[in-house]
Amino acid sequence: MENRRLFVFKGFMWVLAGLAAAVALVRFALGLGVSTALSDSTPWGLWIGFDVMGGVALAAGGFVMAAVVHVFHRERYHPAARPAILTAFLGYGAVAVGLLFDLGLPWNIWHPMIFWNPRSPLFEVAWCVMLYLTVLALEVAPFILVRTPFKRLGELLSRLALPIMIVGIMLSTLHQSSLGTLLLIMPFRVHPLWYSHLLPELFFVSAICLGLVMVMLESSVTSWLYKKKPETEMMSGLARLASFALGFYFLFKMADLAIQHKLGMVFQGSWPSDLFIIEMLLCAVIPMVFFAIPKVRRSPNALWFLSACSVGGFVLDRINASGLSQVWATHNFYFPAWTEFSISLGIVAACVLVFLFIEEHFPVDPHTLEQTEKEREELSRSLPVFAPFDQVWLGEGWRKSARVYSFLFVLAMAFGLTVAPKTDPALQTPAKRAVGSDILMMGPGPRHVYFNHKKHQDEAGGTKSCGLCHHLHQKGDVGTPCVICHQKMFVPADIFSHESHVEALGGKASCAQCHGSAEPIKVAPPSKKCSDCHQKDFMAQNPVVKKFDSKWAPSYKDAMHKMCIPCHEEKAKDPKVNQPNLGRCGACHNGGSATEKSYAAEFPPTAGGAGKN
Amino acid sequence: MIQNPCILTDVTKCIGCEQCVTACKKINGLPDPGAPPRPGSTPDGLSADRWTTVIREPDNHFVRKQCRHCLEPACVSVCPVGALQKTPEGPVIYDKSICMGCRYCMLGCPYGIPHYQWDSANPSVRKCIMCYPHLKSGKVSEPACVTACPQKATIFGTREEMLKEAKKRLHAEPSKYIQKVWGETEVGGTSVLYIADISLDFLAWNDGRQLTSKPLPSLTWAALKPVPFEFIGMGAVMGSIYWIIERRKKLMAEEAARSGKGEVPDGE
Repeated sequence: MENRRLFVFKGFMWVLAGLAAAVALVRFALGLGVSTALSDSTPWGLWIGFDVMGGVALAAGGFVMAAVVHVFHRERYHPAARPAILTAFLGYGAVAVGLLFDLGLPWNIWHPMIFWNPRSPLFEVAWCVMLYLTVLALEVAPFILVRTPFKRLGELLSRLALPIMIVGIMLSTLHQSSLGTLLLIMPFRVHPLWYSHLLPELFFVSAICLGLVMVMLESSVTSWLYKKKPETEMMSGLARLASFALGFYFLFKMADLAIQHKLGMVFQGSWPSDLFIIEMLLCAVIPMVFFAIPKVRRSPNALWFLSACSVGGFVLDRINASGLSQVWATHNFYFPAWTEFSISLGIVAACVLVFLFIEEHFPVDPHTLEQTEKEREELSRSLPVFAPFDQVWLGEGWRKSARVYSFLFVLAMAFGLTVAPKTDPALQTPAKRAVGSDILMMGPGPRHVYFNHKKHQDEAGGTKSCGLCHHLHQKGDVGTPCVICHQKMFVPADIFSHESHVEALGGKASCAQCHGSAEPIKVAPPSKKCSDCHQKDFMAQNPVVKKFDSKWAPSYKDAMHKMCIPCHEEKAKDPKVNQPNLGRCGACHNGGSATEKSYAAEFPPTAGGAGKN
Repeated sequence: MIQNPCILTDVTKCIGCEQCVTACKKINGLPDPGAPPRPGSTPDGLSADRWTTVIREPDNHFVRKQCRHCLEPACVSVCPVGALQKTPEGPVIYDKSICMGCRYCMLGCPYGIPHYQWDSANPSVRKCIMCYPHLKSGKVSEPACVTACPQKATIFGTREEMLKEAKKRLHAEPSKYIQKVWGETEVGGTSVLYIADISLDFLAWNDGRQLTSKPLPSLTWAALKPVPFEFIGMGAVMGSIYWIIERRKKLMAEEAARSGKGEVPDGE
């Protein structure tokens, strides 16, 4: 079995992967509406902001290290190059998987290959992902193939390594900057602090910075997991490089803002400007300053913390630019659903597991491979170990771990399937419920009105009359308040609302439209029937409209009394309810207004006066 | 079918009866009531099943919202596969069989027009297509919404005619209208024009401010045009840096061998 730290870490990754697997089933079976909080105003969310934008940026370590080690011949960074390229490969794999989740029609993901639109930045992005993923596979292949029967192919590929790497760098340059180009089309959405005609260049420079800090973070984490000695020498060199790169990025960004006369916006104190300050502090300012101090550069803990801070800041930058800063324009806030977080984390977890697997079985980092092989050998010679609390023998070594992991995966997946949403939240609106049930509670509690939906529907003319009350004729539309029809307190009223017609037709000047052209218009019988105007209305198929001319609704008092009293009287007689005064006026009319008080005095809520329940 | 078809909506004439909505639903076979509005999106009434809508503004102003059929549409330029197309006549249409569902068009549109079928596992992007198939086949001579309007608040013709008519009305009653044709120059011009007595800047995103008159696709094209040169340039730079350093190392190694000191510096 692996060391405890690694075991717990991997177990946690398997749980995340299991949960994501359950959500994935829901996503593909029921669509994006059920599984995300995306909307027409926010069509791109966490999956694009984090998985795609962030994923590509996080994979920048691959091309940066390839350039540093193989083109600029900085051989002492060699130990970091292979893990960085492997991370880039897995990162791009994650981007492709993330896209499959986000695309509405994922089975058409190959379309950019044959349907071309070179004017679209996303077309460039699509081709870059495809080509660079292929290039990365070729870069990774030599050290995977070395442990397979296809060793010769691997050797051939490693002889071509340099041209492949240069093509990789070329593609990355395009790809990192094209993510910035994506946002150029929307000056109306992206907040001015992020929008700039230099977005492609800014994205490219920040990708180089992120590549460097990501390599440092990764190296720190693997040293911690496998309890290796940190590569202090190499790390401090990288930190020095990073501090120059971050400084350049910071100056570039500030100069860009200054040229556009936007520096003043930074200290506006608004939500986007606060976000911007946090982002710049995290990604550039704090790490840049501390990386410049030689003493800090030699402390593994400080490097771990600072690189994590910078990585977080750059991911925040991508999320801000592609989403958060756009709230400024749309005024529609979006917060990802838990299912979206689950998929994002699950993809990361799967990548981490594949990374660790390759790290343990292939010569990515010779030290790790040596160490795990030694452990495996020791384990094969040791005696069976029983699990401590249940005394079950789960097997030995990797077998035991594998059993625990698969158990965790299945358990997490089962849990995910239980709690994952099965219907679109938008469909669970009051009007929708009204179709299924006859009685609906309206108004804030505790004094609800029990509204008999079915009775109203039957009287209004069946299922085709919905538009009479639900004017927008949509499922989510709230119905007409009671008083619109039951207008008068004590006498029945015509439900024709004169007031709203006057308003809609444009005030007094419009009287003649209905009441004929006789001047001056006084109380005149309506010269038009409803159907004269509403014939082609959205209620066209509505049988009610035709006999709408004399539709009377009972008075408010009658409507309410008729609705409440019969049931109250019945319940008052019911010994099980044990509230004999329920049928008395004061049982309901006990409120604060003067009228209500007079009712309560005249018809007290209890027969023997106050005091009883 | 006419070239450059255009719809002119006179906001002062609209009474908000929504007969255009009914007619649109009928001719395009859209379900009624259709999908509910998606929570979290702007509640303007538009949805994947409601391609035009009437927005109620204060003081009895009714503003019909629909696709603007831009002269240089951002949605068409950003679609990576060309599922959205600008037809030779003018209307912007959509082909589901090509679409891959990236929803970039929804972000690229400055008016928030394309809507998505969120409740479907096989969703399309949907928006007004100016009755293009019906106009093309000759089934109708003008879009259904225009025919349905009882007030002639929304009329149809070529873009030149409509612009002329709009200017004529602005000129005839200068005190009634704001002296501006919405859609004349915004984002390079649109094929749905408005005249009104209130500001219609709220129809676009941009925090209520006016949109640029630059066609949006020109913004991305400026960055995309040099891409092939950047690609080759980067390759040349990387290749030559490699070659220079490699050669310098070789020369230094030779020098070291000659002076007999050994040790090759690693290029630092």
